[in-house]
Parts: sequence; structure tokens; C-alpha cells
Amino acid sequence: MNKVITINLGGTAYQLEEGGYDTLRTYLETAAARLQGNPDRDEIMSDIEQAIGEKFRALLGSHKTVVVTKEVTAVLDEMGPIEDDSGADPRAGEAKARAETGGPGPAQTERPPGQPGTPKRLYRIKEGAMVAGVCNGLAAYLNIDPTLVRLAFILLLMVWGTGVLVYFVLALIVPKARSPEEKAAACGEPFTAQEFIRRAKAGYYGATKDFPDRKARREWKRRFKQEMRAKRDEWRYDWHRHWAEQADIHPGAGLALPLLSVLHGMFAILWVCALISLLATGAVFGIVLSSSVPIWIAVIVMIIAYKIFIWPLKAARRACYYGYGRPKWARPSIFLLDALIWLAVIAAFLWLGSHFFSQLCEAARNIPSVAHDAVHQIRQWWHGK
Amino acid sequence: MSVNEKFSAIRKGLLEFLVLKIIAAEKVYVADILKQFSATEFTTQEGTLYPLLSKMRREGLVDYEWKESEAGPPRKYYQLTAKGRDQLRETLDYWGKISGTVKNLGQK
Repeated sequence: MNKVITINLGGTAYQLEEGGYDTLRTYLETAAARLQGNPDRDEIMSDIEQAIGEKFRALLGSHKTVVVTKEVTAVLDEMGPIEDDSGADPRAGEAKARAETGGPGPAQTERPPGQPGTPKRLYRIKEGAMVAGVCNGLAAYLNIDPTLVRLAFILLLMVWGTGVLVYFVLALIVPKARSPEEKAAACGEPFTAQEFIRRAKAGYYGATKDFPDRKARREWKRRFKQEMRAKRDEWRYDWHRHWAEQADIHPGAGLALPLLSVLHGMFAILWVCALISLLATGAVFGIVLSSSVPIWIAVIVMIIAYKIFIWPLKAARRACYYGYGRPKWARPSIFLLDALIWLAVIAAFLWLGSHFFSQLCEAARNIPSVAHDAVHQIRQWWHGK
Repeated sequence: MSVNEKFSAIRKGLLEFLVLKIIAAEKVYVADILKQFSATEFTTQEGTLYPLLSKMRREGLVDYEWKESEAGPPRKYYQLTAKGRDQLRETLDYWGKISGTVKNLGQK
């Protein structure tokens, strides 16, 4: 005994077995997705529905009123998959042109004919996401494992904390993939119902499938977030204590703090000036950027250089802060010393720089090409792997 | 790769031309076109034909009118437009040339 579902095809009601109804729905959804962008989509869909209806009618009689699942499958096989290469996508036309000239175009080897190529877009993907789906979306866009992207973000976070900023900026500006089509665009694949089912089976949406209902899933998510928050607080607490426990109160700390702040601020202003000069004129402190290096690499290099340069100052300030503000277990002398050594290194560097200015300029001028070569080699190694 | 597979792209490309040829003979509806194709190498399905016909209509090659049928709802009957007839004539000429070339090439 099977459940029967009544549907409306082209203005006529038909009764279908439940399994047949599911098959038909999948077929029509696939058809609609493939006709995405076709100006006559609605008309073609209604033509197709009517054609299916006519085939159903031929099967029915006065004593047979229900279309069984097997018959639905047979009718849909007869209909064949929707092949549309008249869409607005220029790649489809290109593939057709290649097909006509008989050339073995890459478009034919990459994907089955008749499926227009979908342009890739950067979206956030919430399915299986840890926070807002930024890493997931990036991974889909770059076609690599999401875990690798997450690791990269965590590394960025631990080294400079920049990861958090980048993440939140991306979370704010990158749109969320809502519809199935957008999810497909995030992966650069034409969306089909079969593809969806295949991915669901492959555990693509694994994070959602293990839960019997929404409530259980929400509960799991809530607990996961709670645990993550507890871990984070714990880590942060340890970090602060670690700093503070090794510190010692020093009367100089109170005096050094404002001085260090002024220095820090001055360097920050200098750096911003350098950045503006780089963006406006393509040169920093008289060093002209080679035209073969993209500007964004130069900006990233500058950010990293600044962070390294400023680190001792920050450490010193932090040490002063703890030394001044926390009694008993606060011992900043070690960190003050550490920071002073760093400052001495920078001073020595600057002194050397002022004495051997031309050589330094020469070396600095070579940095872009060296960096460029390194990136090139990494890329070659990556592709050769 | 069998000959059948090798020619699948060419068959696909020729489909529009053959649909024009079928519609030129008489007003037809989709099931008629499918029936005419069914006994040939060009056997095709609704899934291919509906999008193709809608594209041809958009390009102004064919037009349709609704006609009552004895069983069920009205059907779309397709016919050629003036532009469609021009296109068919051109394509037939071109096809004649191509088949001539295929026949003559390599012969001494």
C-alpha cells in the first residue's frame, strides 16, 4: 500500500505514488535549475509539465487512476534530461562553436555537453561552518580543503591577530550563499539536483545529517559554541597570567610607559605615511616598487614588516602595563629587558643603515624581485606536486 | 570512441536545421516532430526539443499557435516565419555544399 499525492500539471490533476512524486519533483527542479538564465524558462517549464501530463494521461484509464512510481520513472526517461545551451552564458555558445568546428575543446572534456559553465563567486557557506562560513566559502572558491583554510586563519590569528580582523571583514562583506544556485556558484559547478543528492550522500552536508531534528542540531551547536568560548577564555587567562607572573615591579615602568606610547604612535604615523606614499606614488622612502610586483603583495609585506618592527615596543608597553597595574606577582623587568634588547637591535640596524645607506637601499630594492621569485617558485612547486 | 559517439556533437548541431525542415513541411506539434525523428539517427527527447524550439522562437525562426486537440488541453502547433524560411533555404544551400565537399574530397 502506497501513499498517493495529487498534483497539478498544466491545469489537470494527476494522482501519483509518493515515490513517483519525489522523482518528478527532482526532475522538475533540475530542469528549472538548468534553465536558469533562459528568458523563456517559465514557458519551457509549462511546456514540459504539459508534455509529462499528456504522457500520464495516456497511461490512465477509467479503472486506473494512479500513476505508479515505475511509470513516472519511465515517462521521465522518455522526456530526457533538459539540455539547454541557448542560455545567456557566452561559454555555452563557445562550446557549441567548438562542437561545430569539430575541435576537441576543453569545455567538452571538462563537463558534459549542454551544461553551461557557471562562473565562480565568493560566498559564505553555512553548511558545516564553524563560525560564519567564511573559511568554508573560501575553500570552495579556491577548491581546497576547508580545514587548510581554517589552519591558515588560525596561524594568522596567533602570529598577529590579523586573522580575526580579516575574518570579520570578510564575514561582513561576503554574501551568504542562500539558494542552491548560489551554493553551486560558490563551488563553480552547475547546480543540478543529482549533484545535490550526490553531495548529500557523500556527506558534503555532513554536519547536518547526523541530527534527527532541528532541535537536536541547535542544541549541539549551542554546546559547541559554549565549549569554544570556555576554551578561548581559558587560553586568554593563561596568556595574561603568564605575562604577569614573570614580571616584577620596577619604578621605571611608570615612566617608560608614556615614552613608549609616544614612540609607538610615531612609528604608526610613519608607517601610515609610508603606506600612503606606496599607494600614491608606488615608492617608499625613495625605493621604487618594481612593476612586476602587484601592489597588494607590497602592502602585505609592509604590514608584516611593520608588525615585526613594532613588536618590541608593544612588548615593552605590555610589560610596563602589568608592572604598574598589578601588584605582587607582576614582574616586568624581564620583558623590559627583552624589549630594550629589541630596541637596541633596531637602533643598531638604523645606525648601520645610515652608515651603509647605499648598500641597504640596494638590498631593499632587491626585496620585491626576491619575493616575486619566491612566490613563483612556491607556485611551481604547488603545481608540480 | 564509436562513430555514433564521434558524431554526437554534429548531430546536435544539425538538430536545429532538421527541425526547420520538418516544420517547413506542415504545422506540427512537439510529439509529431519526435515521431519523425524517432526512426532516424537523430532520435531526440522533449527535454532537448522544448528548449531548442523556445530558442528558435526567440530568434524569430518559428512561431506557434494554440490548437484544440480532441483529447486533453490545447497544443502548440509550430510553423515557420519568413525569417525561418530564409534560414532554411540558406542552410540547405550550405548543406549541399558541405555534402558535395565530403563526397569529393580525397577522390582522384
